[in-house]
Amino acid sequence: MTPVLRTDALGKRYGRRQALTDVTLSVPAGRVVGLVGPNGAGKSTLLNLASGMIAPTTGTIEVLGSRPAANPAQLARVGFVAQDTPVYPGLSVGDHLRLGARLNPGWDDGLAQQRVSQVGLDPTQKAGRLSGGQRAQLALTLAAAKRPQLMIFDEPVAALDPLARRAFLQSLMEFVAELEVSVLLSSHLLGDLERVCDHLIVLAASRTQLAGDVEDLLAAHYRLVAARGDLDPPPPGIEVIQATHTARQTTLIVRDTTGTLPDRLPAAEHLDLEEMVLAYLGRAAEPAGTANAVQPLEVSR
Amino acid sequence: MIWLTWRQFRGQALVAVAVLAALATYLVVLGLRIRTAYEVNVDCAGCSVEAAKDVFESAYFTPLLLTGFLVVLVPGIVGAFWGAPLLAREFETGTHRLVWNQSVSRTRWLAVKLGLVTLAGVILTGALSLLLTWAASPYDKLFDGRFDPLLFPTRNIAPLGYAVFAVVAGVTVGLLVRRTVPAMAILLAGFVLLQILMPTLVRPHLQPAVTERVAWTAANAKGLLINGAGEVWTEEVAVPGAWVLTSGPQMLDAAGNPASQEQIESCPRAEPSAHMACIETKGFQMTLSYQPADRYWTFQWLEVGIYLLLAGLLAGFVFWRIPRGLN
Repeated sequence: MTPVLRTDALGKRYGRRQALTDVTLSVPAGRVVGLVGPNGAGKSTLLNLASGMIAPTTGTIEVLGSRPAANPAQLARVGFVAQDTPVYPGLSVGDHLRLGARLNPGWDDGLAQQRVSQVGLDPTQKAGRLSGGQRAQLALTLAAAKRPQLMIFDEPVAALDPLARRAFLQSLMEFVAELEVSVLLSSHLLGDLERVCDHLIVLAASRTQLAGDVEDLLAAHYRLVAARGDLDPPPPGIEVIQATHTARQTTLIVRDTTGTLPDRLPAAEHLDLEEMVLAYLGRAAEPAGTANAVQPLEVSR
Repeated sequence: MIWLTWRQFRGQALVAVAVLAALATYLVVLGLRIRTAYEVNVDCAGCSVEAAKDVFESAYFTPLLLTGFLVVLVPGIVGAFWGAPLLAREFETGTHRLVWNQSVSRTRWLAVKLGLVTLAGVILTGALSLLLTWAASPYDKLFDGRFDPLLFPTRNIAPLGYAVFAVVAGVTVGLLVRRTVPAMAILLAGFVLLQILMPTLVRPHLQPAVTERVAWTAANAKGLLINGAGEVWTEEVAVPGAWVLTSGPQMLDAAGNPASQEQIESCPRAEPSAHMACIETKGFQMTLSYQPADRYWTFQWLEVGIYLLLAGLLAGFVFWRIPRGLN
């Protein structure tokens, strides 16, 4: 099956600033993909490249097997909701649905009407007067009712209050179940994505730090705790992601590259998603060239 | 796409229709009055053309000049209020990210929006120009001055070129600046500047001017000026229907040398018309450079062509740029 997203050495430069560096990914179809990373990591850049809003500086990107926004047929297959969920302030909710119906041959008006009444949007209301949560729901409806194969959301819940955030993610998951659509959504807060994603991409400092199905990722990462010095050097077949030391004890967050770590070190513990992601983000935040060294991470207590 | 363009544009379109209706009413009334005045003052047995000119000038010069300015200004306003925000407002509110993700290519989106708004601008400007040309035609016939830089851009087809150019230029500026109000200001300033540069620097040279020595007559020159050095200059020269580029040429005597104060003063001081008639008999000449009357339509087409060419270049840039995304 064609991957929904495939990039090869993808790079994007804005003037002197490198927003995205050497990103090589392949995301299989049928996933809800979470794209996490701190602000400025390049999440929006990657999503804007995937929706064809901008063109790459280097490398290639394919969405559902084609160049993004290459033609109307490709546009019809991807629903993109940009950051801050833009809508036309002067047009009513009903106008937006008409806009969707006129500009998308595959428009599912039944779905659109049903969603709008379900989330309690008044079709006569001007979109400029909607709350952030309502606007996000309208944008979600527009993107879903064109019946795409892939829906892309750029920080859809960043501006929403906790209640609207939950309602939005709820709506999103209903669409996923109903429409058999792949989803790619970004957030700088892992908590938003944890509950809905089954595939994760961690982006930091313009590069991918980690990518894969959540289950596989969790299965391959461990925490090793041992007396200081016992893990020096670390056992073979692992990649140290993060190391912290106290006077007597060493804690390593590692990735098992062999699949045999639990047999060799029964004390290895699994991590939760947040710990794992934070370890990668912590590593990315270090000065270049020291990522795998143990000493610079030392924390004296 | 047509529906969306209309939905976004209909408010401005209704304003334009209202403005057009008001101006059209005024111009029709003005045109009818001018026609009546023409019948009374010109098309009558034994009427003096000179007296008619005085009547016409005092009654209609100002209204026609002001409506003329309006006809030149309307393309600028259309460019600023319709052209400049067309893309800039989308970028400013981020809605291009909504509309570019519908199943319509950006090229088609742009083509429909730009096409319809340009068409609306052309219709509005064209209607005004047509009405003014009609309303002013007896006046223009009487004064034979439609080649004049003040009248030339307000009559016939020249305003259509301005309208197309102003809309496309507004869209281009909006694309480059991406902010509505600065784009409007830049467009207006640029448009006004171009409307000043065109008649002063470009239009006079679109075809080589005719330069020739003509006899000084009381009919083609309004008067004369004698400066402190005793040199004699003609005041305002008119060649029927032509665009005279020489503002006030020096008077030359019959032998072709600069005329002197003494030669003028050899005519006795008398009442003005007799004095001028006397001077005319002395065979004075002047060197004039002008665009003859029969080039009027050539110049109209050249004017439209230049503005359409500029608009085409800008449109080419916009259509090249938009599919590449905003980086």
